[in-house]
Amino acid sequence: MDEQDQSQPNQFSSETLDPIAQMKHAAMLERLSNLHRSRLQQSASRRTDSAAASPAFESVHSFLDRFSDSKRSIEADLARCRALASDPASAPNLKPELEKVSASIADLDRLVAENSYFLPSYEVRSSLKAISELKEALDSANSELMPRKKFSFKNKASRKDPCVLVQQIDEIKVLDAEKSNPGGVRDSPGFRNKENAVLVKHFRVSEEGEGNFSLSDLNSCEVYLKGRIRALFVHRLRNCRIFAGPVQGSILIEDVNDCLFMLSSHQIRIHQARATDFYLRVRSRPIIEDSNGVRFAPYRLFYKGIDEDLKDSGLGEETGNWANVDDFKWLRAVQSPNWCLMPEEERVGTTNSSDREEQCDDE
Amino acid sequence: MGLLSIIRKIKRKEKEMRILMVGLDNSGKTTIVLKINGEDTSVISPTLGFNIKTIKYQKYSLNIWDVGGQKTIRSYWRNYFEQTDGLVWVVDSSDVRRLDDCRMELENLLKEERLSGASLLVFANKQDIQGALKPSEIAKALNLDALDRTRHWKIVGCSAYTGEGLLEGFDWMVQDIASRIYVLD
Repeated sequence: MDEQDQSQPNQFSSETLDPIAQMKHAAMLERLSNLHRSRLQQSASRRTDSAAASPAFESVHSFLDRFSDSKRSIEADLARCRALASDPASAPNLKPELEKVSASIADLDRLVAENSYFLPSYEVRSSLKAISELKEALDSANSELMPRKKFSFKNKASRKDPCVLVQQIDEIKVLDAEKSNPGGVRDSPGFRNKENAVLVKHFRVSEEGEGNFSLSDLNSCEVYLKGRIRALFVHRLRNCRIFAGPVQGSILIEDVNDCLFMLSSHQIRIHQARATDFYLRVRSRPIIEDSNGVRFAPYRLFYKGIDEDLKDSGLGEETGNWANVDDFKWLRAVQSPNWCLMPEEERVGTTNSSDREEQCDDE
Repeated sequence: MGLLSIIRKIKRKEKEMRILMVGLDNSGKTTIVLKINGEDTSVISPTLGFNIKTIKYQKYSLNIWDVGGQKTIRSYWRNYFEQTDGLVWVVDSSDVRRLDDCRMELENLLKEERLSGASLLVFANKQDIQGALKPSEIAKALNLDALDRTRHWKIVGCSAYTGEGLLEGFDWMVQDIASRIYVLD
């Protein structure tokens, strides 16, 4: 009973037991330490295995080892980033470091996803939670250490220099190719920035294939487009009259006041139109948005060859859709107050644009 | 997160993917969906609301939500964000004037936390139209290189009119989603 005071049970046994028992005891200790060593080795090799070959061998244990290792290293990296930020000299390194952390978090995420099929749901849940905490930590570090630039409006380089206003489409094309601004964005062919002019363009398929065309910033102009186009964009027109042949794709109209449009197309979208009349032939239902005082009537345009052009564009037949207007600002069953059908007596007669010649031919 | 893992398990069984198609109006979202489903694309009205299509694609079942792009209804896009596996952003490559609008709407969309895990496929549509911008030009205009590094994204030039490029885009998207959700395949 005296020996109870001794803290070391080994000593206790070695001192009190006979030699045979002592030998047995030593052998057992050796076996135990061998076992322990081999276990250590195993776990070390498992760790290198799992690092080399992923996914790991469906072992929850090795997954958790690996997960916590990466988690610790990510946390250490984050802490290092914060240390970096306090030192102005190393500030340029900060961004790549943070990106590295973000990439390692993504890797960790993938690790969980790859192993999720054998992990108990608790482990999946807790790993996902740990990842989302890491992400939050990264986000807050990001926003603290690398505050985003405040949003502000900048003066863009003006799109078009008034002195190079071109008279001929060909010229526009060449200029656009040359002028393409730093963003690499070029303007499509079209009539732009004109006042009190009569503008005529004849699209010949063989000549330039089927492209798109724009009408923008026109004031008090009369525009005649003959032949087929794929798409038509209309923007900022005041007091204009537009007569266009078939458009095989869609027409997009934005911001027009006091105009008359005669158009045929597969789709027509009208935005911010005021006091404007539309003479349409459309395959689908035309729509208006943010518009008022707009009126609709059927298409009445003639030029030599228009019937063929219409047929080739799939617009040979009148569908009656010119009257089926959807108003996105009036989603109710009753008639929208923003548009109406035009009384027959107020409609213009068939417009004949056969005699209209292209400007470039005149000059 | 518990719910998420349950949903993942259910999805794994059904091999279902939820795809959200968005983009400015007139970009061709509905036409793309109908074209890839082999339907007639000659009469399509601008989408008032949304369309849902379930398409068998390879061994997966794609639930495609095609949401209208008019300004008035863009604010409703958020109602469709939940559980989105893949986001398809459609751009009218011939609409140079509204590229800025397009970039800003996309930026706003990608800020959305519920979409943070979704793969992003950008379709530079209408490549068949002469004068349309190339996918590389669209990528530049939309500043795609500045996207968050964790985002899986790809830009593909396509024409919903001819069908060109559509399969390439969807192939990538389906593979990318599958490698995230269905690891065993």
